[in-house]
Amino acid sequence: MTRVLVVDDEPQILRALRTSLRGAGYDVETAETGEAALTAAAVNPPDAVILDLVLPDGHGTDVARELRTWSNVPVIVLSVVGDEREKVAALDAGADDYVTKPFGIDELLARLRAALRRGEPSGEPVLELGELRVDLEKQSVHFDGRPVQLTPHEFALLRALAREPGKLMTHQMLLREVWGRAYGDESHYLHVYVSQLRRKLERDPARPRYILTVPGAGYRLVQP
Amino acid sequence: MRRDLVVSVPAAAGAVALVSAVVDVLSPHVPVLALGVLYVFAVLSVATFWGTALALATSVASMLAFNWFFLPPTHTLQLRQGENWLALAVYCSTAVVVGLLAARARRRSADAEQRRREADVLAGAAADLLHGTPADEALGRLAEPLARALGAEAVRLVPGAPEPAPSERALPVRAGRRAVATVLVDERLPVAAAAAERLLPALGALFAVQADALEAEALRRSDALKTALLRSVSHDLRSPLTAILAAAGALTNDELTLDDADRAELAHAIRAEAERLNRVVGDLLDLSRLQAGAVEPHRELWSADELVAQALPPGDRIQVELDDVAPPVRVDGPQVERALANLIDNALRYSPAGSPVTVRVEHGATELRVHVLDHGPGLDGADRDLLFRPFEGEGSGLGLAIARGFAEVNGGQVWAQDDPTGGHFVLALPTAGAAA
Repeated sequence: MTRVLVVDDEPQILRALRTSLRGAGYDVETAETGEAALTAAAVNPPDAVILDLVLPDGHGTDVARELRTWSNVPVIVLSVVGDEREKVAALDAGADDYVTKPFGIDELLARLRAALRRGEPSGEPVLELGELRVDLEKQSVHFDGRPVQLTPHEFALLRALAREPGKLMTHQMLLREVWGRAYGDESHYLHVYVSQLRRKLERDPARPRYILTVPGAGYRLVQP
Repeated sequence: MRRDLVVSVPAAAGAVALVSAVVDVLSPHVPVLALGVLYVFAVLSVATFWGTALALATSVASMLAFNWFFLPPTHTLQLRQGENWLALAVYCSTAVVVGLLAARARRRSADAEQRRREADVLAGAAADLLHGTPADEALGRLAEPLARALGAEAVRLVPGAPEPAPSERALPVRAGRRAVATVLVDERLPVAAAAAERLLPALGALFAVQADALEAEALRRSDALKTALLRSVSHDLRSPLTAILAAAGALTNDELTLDDADRAELAHAIRAEAERLNRVVGDLLDLSRLQAGAVEPHRELWSADELVAQALPPGDRIQVELDDVAPPVRVDGPQVERALANLIDNALRYSPAGSPVTVRVEHGATELRVHVLDHGPGLDGADRDLLFRPFEGEGSGLGLAIARGFAEVNGGQVWAQDDPTGGHFVLALPTAGAAA
């Protein structure tokens, strides 16, 4: 059975999560502090971790960072509305995805399933998602059978997103990979490039189905 | 004074001459001694217009004239009949007394006139200030009557206590210790000091009263608004809580018999109401942050496509018209998306179900504009700005206020436009090249 480690110091939330995850067929272990979480993960490696960012003995971000040094386990963080910086920091430190409190359980379960499914990047040179076909080796893109002309930057951006479809790529990750830049500079063209990519790849750029914006965090390439 | 003398002395002389002429005409028919009393008219007129001193002089001149022209022997100052001296003396003193009385009446009348002028100033000021005319405007209107009351040709009445010009004298109008206004008069012009002493403190007091009244009104309005706010907020928070507690209470009540359908229904109610509560809390927090100036936009370059795409809710009702060549804007993406999403939500809510809502992007030289159009009842010209004030509508209408707040914090604007086809809201943002 798939085991999930839930890290949160609020008893009501722990209870709700434990019940829901058990109901969804998962085996649940809980921890109420960062220390306890790291210990539990080391002693009994879980298949996924749900990590609250606000913990009595520090930030969830530090736990995620520490965890990443010796484990690739999928981590989903529970962030607080309005605390964008903390959420993005956690993602950049290695968390895979996030839900914002108050969240709906179904949203959390969906993210959990997606994170578990992703596992390791496949390394396949050709990616097919719906009408989109990306050949990473030949550097070509086809949409609905027709070839699409992309500029080098546009392709690099698409490749970064396509390497792990479904995975949330933060602004930082994308900027670093495509432009080699750190995120501090605000005059980057990331959003504008995504916009251009959408115009080329989406039937309705106003209602994107492949390249999704994750507000305040980054982008995700998904199968519609 | 000199000017006065140029007119008054000849006039007095004229009066005496006139009366003398009348006496001359009447003298064949009436004993001449009896006619002496006519000179009182001359003295009376002079006293009325020019006061005591000249009246006295006129009395003396009258009697000299009477003696010279009419009392025998004429053309001398001698009197043949001794009793004429007495008569002359009596006439003279009568004239003097009449003159004094007339002069006093004249002074009284002048005083009354002065008081009336002062009262006019105060009455005018009171009417203006206590009806809420702004102080500056009231001051403007007071300058002329004040000048009249102070006996100066013209004065300047300015708020506060500015430095007087080098050729001017400053008289402060004080409320307590603070100078609420200052009367500026040309140095060379005289000012009735006594009038100023009476008038200016009273004026100051009126200004003080107005200031108090305005403050009290502002407080009252602020209180009223706070009460309305609290009542509205309380309602919007308590309603969903009531539903949640009721449903949860039913679910946890051992004594009730509920079947699966009942339980499912109650559970759904809890969820829906909790989501509603979440929205209200989020709105309230956003609005507080906006009003406290605690919102810091994290600006990045965004294209209109992105912003619109993020703001669209699922569903088919919305028609989107993008602008292919619109330049990017430098804004906080999530904040602007929120503003747009609120405008769209508003359009969806206030137009008939099924009627289309259009989101159109267009741009000008320095601005990007997103129009949100619906086919609802639209707005009657009346109070467009009222829409953007929180809590004015039912159901905690914070959406528009928040939309405007987030737009402004990002250097943009939100407004409602006149449109016969229905509701029409516009979100405008400065384009990246144009923004400072």
